[in-house]
Amino acid sequence: MTRLSTRFAARVMGLLFLGGVMSAQHVSAQVPVDGCVTCHAGLTQSELSSPVSAFRTDVHSERGFRCVDCHGGDPTTQDKARAKDPARGYRGKPRGAQIVTTCARCHSDAGLMRTFAPAQRVDQAAEYATSAHGIRLATGDQNVATCASCHHAHGIRRVKDARAPVFPTNVAALCASCHSDPQHMKGYTSSGGASIPTSQRDDYEKSVHFTALTRQNDLSAPTCNDCHGNHGAAPPGVDAVSNVCGTCHAVFAAKFATSAHSQIFDRACVECHSNHAVLTTSDEMIGTSKDTLCWTCHEAADDAGFVGAGRMRTSIESLKTALAANSDLIARARNAGMEVSDEELALAEVRTKLTQARTEIHTFDPAAVDQVVNEGLKALTAVELAGNQALADLQYRRRGLFISLVAILLVVVGLFLKIRELNLRRQ
Amino acid sequence: MARIIDWVDDRLNLSDVRHFIAEKGVPIHTQKIWYYLGGMTLFLFLVQVASGILLLLYYRPSADEAYESVQFIVTQVEFGWLIRNIHSWSANLLILAVFAHLFSVFFLKAYRKPRELTWITGVLLLFVMLGFGFSGYLLPWNELAFFATKVGTGIAGAVPIIGGPLMRFLRGGDDVTGATLSRFYALHIAILPAITTLLVAAHLLFVQRQGMSVPIPIAQRLKRGERLRQMPFFPDYILRDVLLWYVAVALLAALAAFYPWELGRKADAFAPVPPGIRPEWYFLAMFHTLKLLPSHILGIEGEVVGVVGFGLAAVALLLVPFLDQRAAREEPSPLFTALGIGGLVYFVVLTIIGHLAS
Amino acid sequence: MPGRFDRRGFLDSLLGAGFVSTLVAMAYPVWRFLIPPASGEPVTQSVVAAQASQVKPDSGMLFKFGSRPGLLVRTQDGELRAFNAVCTHLDCTVQYKADTSQIWCACHNGLYDLSGNVVSGPPPRPLERLVVNQRGEDVVVSRT
Repeated sequence: MTRLSTRFAARVMGLLFLGGVMSAQHVSAQVPVDGCVTCHAGLTQSELSSPVSAFRTDVHSERGFRCVDCHGGDPTTQDKARAKDPARGYRGKPRGAQIVTTCARCHSDAGLMRTFAPAQRVDQAAEYATSAHGIRLATGDQNVATCASCHHAHGIRRVKDARAPVFPTNVAALCASCHSDPQHMKGYTSSGGASIPTSQRDDYEKSVHFTALTRQNDLSAPTCNDCHGNHGAAPPGVDAVSNVCGTCHAVFAAKFATSAHSQIFDRACVECHSNHAVLTTSDEMIGTSKDTLCWTCHEAADDAGFVGAGRMRTSIESLKTALAANSDLIARARNAGMEVSDEELALAEVRTKLTQARTEIHTFDPAAVDQVVNEGLKALTAVELAGNQALADLQYRRRGLFISLVAILLVVVGLFLKIRELNLRRQ
Repeated sequence: MARIIDWVDDRLNLSDVRHFIAEKGVPIHTQKIWYYLGGMTLFLFLVQVASGILLLLYYRPSADEAYESVQFIVTQVEFGWLIRNIHSWSANLLILAVFAHLFSVFFLKAYRKPRELTWITGVLLLFVMLGFGFSGYLLPWNELAFFATKVGTGIAGAVPIIGGPLMRFLRGGDDVTGATLSRFYALHIAILPAITTLLVAAHLLFVQRQGMSVPIPIAQRLKRGERLRQMPFFPDYILRDVLLWYVAVALLAALAAFYPWELGRKADAFAPVPPGIRPEWYFLAMFHTLKLLPSHILGIEGEVVGVVGFGLAAVALLLVPFLDQRAAREEPSPLFTALGIGGLVYFVVLTIIGHLAS
Repeated sequence: MPGRFDRRGFLDSLLGAGFVSTLVAMAYPVWRFLIPPASGEPVTQSVVAAQASQVKPDSGMLFKFGSRPGLLVRTQDGELRAFNAVCTHLDCTVQYKADTSQIWCACHNGLYDLSGNVVSGPPPRPLERLVVNQRGEDVVVSRT
């Protein structure tokens, strides 16, 4: 070659090389070449094309994961056979237990998870294996929930994301999507042999927990997973009920544990408060009349429980009545303009005692309830005294008035006599 | 005492004043008892000023603190309950005295020439006193006061043409809020007192200048040459005045002790209107009249007709001396006497009905 | 005639005495009214909760704030904090728990941290914070 052509060839090669590098860079600067996305986005069947758009908002996508990371295969080609070649690692759509293994491949790997979310647990798959869902899945039942049933497969959001199906306010609807469907639940029985009911969600929505969670924005209120477990979901055994409720209602659980009922009740708290339809409590639940809960077992008038129930109810009602009467008295004194803030403070303390008395009911020991009630009643006697004293002070003012009136009357009479005297002098 | 007066006299030459006081006389006749109402009104107003100034030391004019400050006065400040109750009761007695003074002057036709200006300043003072009552009523910021103000300022909105802006001006906004309280406070302690000072000064000046009016029959007798016995103002009349003032003080103290004013509940703008809400008794006749009017009269809203009617009545009241030509000629004027009786009866009856209706 | 009763003079002195006594009877309440009461301000706004030396570090004490209870806490670092001591769950009165340096409600085991935030238990909202200032030895707690 001539010197000219060598230089020319070198330039051309350089340009080609540059072009090649540039085009390679240009390609990698775009969204990485993902044959899966390119192909599936254009498909008409929605179940094949929807994962593409769903995955864009997925938390894994944010971290740089792609289709291949779960499904395997070759993303660099758009040739279907080559992309989905098992020899190139293609795993296909996981089903049943495969879903768990797919997710657990990363999520049970502590070393890997540490590089993405160090505080996240890595035992979900192990827990799941102990759950009612996991146990049934192991027998080959594909009808049960797996990771994807709750977290979904492609548009996975963080648990803290309010749009996630596993965000606390969404959990009940999520579980109900299977558990409230009679068709889905057909044939399943609980450990006792009875078929599993489908009324849980309806019951739960009547409860104070649901109200607290959805209407009072109290995210600490329990939903399905708080009592049944997350990944290890199973109904708590009847022995566990008191412990489960007691994780939040510690004081009640502790008092209940000391009571005779803790030995007698099969289902502890659930006997009186129900499991899903936990309604607002009221004093009407206790007592000796037919519409009380106590009456369910304690009907006979000579029954110690009957007597005890009556005593506890009467005790609480006496405190309520006295509290109402004294609140009224203090309100009247206040309205008349007397200083009663000390008494108002005392009344707040008595209201505390009433709350504590209602807690004490869970010992099912009338003496314990009486003790708290009597403390409240004792405080009220002082309040009543002060309230009546305040009203009496109003009377005291009238006495003070009479004295000044006497002085005024003296002047009035004196003036009157003076005027008369002046008149007489004028004549 | 005499030495002090001499000392001032040496410097300011009070001889005119001393002569005037010594010579000032009050005519004696069967109707002279009504003369005391003017002095009583003035006395009760001074009681209001004194008790008001005392309350001012502790009162806080903001929606957050007004109620609490009144509660503080009544419960923590020594004799606070007494001062507050005197102020509330004296307000009512003052307005009662103002009305009694108005009606007595009206029936005695003391408004006739040459006392037209005295009458006009007096009627203006009536409006000012009603303004004091309305503005002061809101200041404790309790439920009753809040809603009464809401209703009252709402009625102001019924005035044709200027009603809307007038209501916004009174309320300091579209609704009764802390802004209304600020405004009413300014009205109550500064604006109205300033106006009152001028009007009372003029009113008293005119009275001193012109002396006491006598009923028309007696005036006619005087014209024919008869002489009327006079009571020296000092000390005779003054002693009687002071006696009546002492009786008023006794009455106020008794009312304060036996019928103390309630604190009520703190105003809550978002609470529902308490049932049976109504204004104080001196507005009750007007208020109930508006309630009784049909919703539409000749195509105009009933409330508007009522408010315009009251406005016209107020103007008529001011112009009475010019309208009553017979009295101006010192002739008996039974028409106006009848009108006065009608007005008084209407006022009393509507007030009673209004009270019983709630 | 000697011993004749001077009625006019008697009347005058009686009247004079009457005037003076009624004037005193009216002036006395006014004078007492003018003297500022011990509590100074309406107690719903501001209160002297305690003397600074009374409150030791890592301790809390209840005080009266108008008609409601208040809790005054001195942290381990010596900082004074005050809260409305009414538990946001069912209105029981809370107390200071020295062993964990938290605020505790005995009724249903509610726990708050020293910023008033709920740590555990049933309370749905944090405790209301109150403003603390020191005026000499007086610890003054106010609403805003």
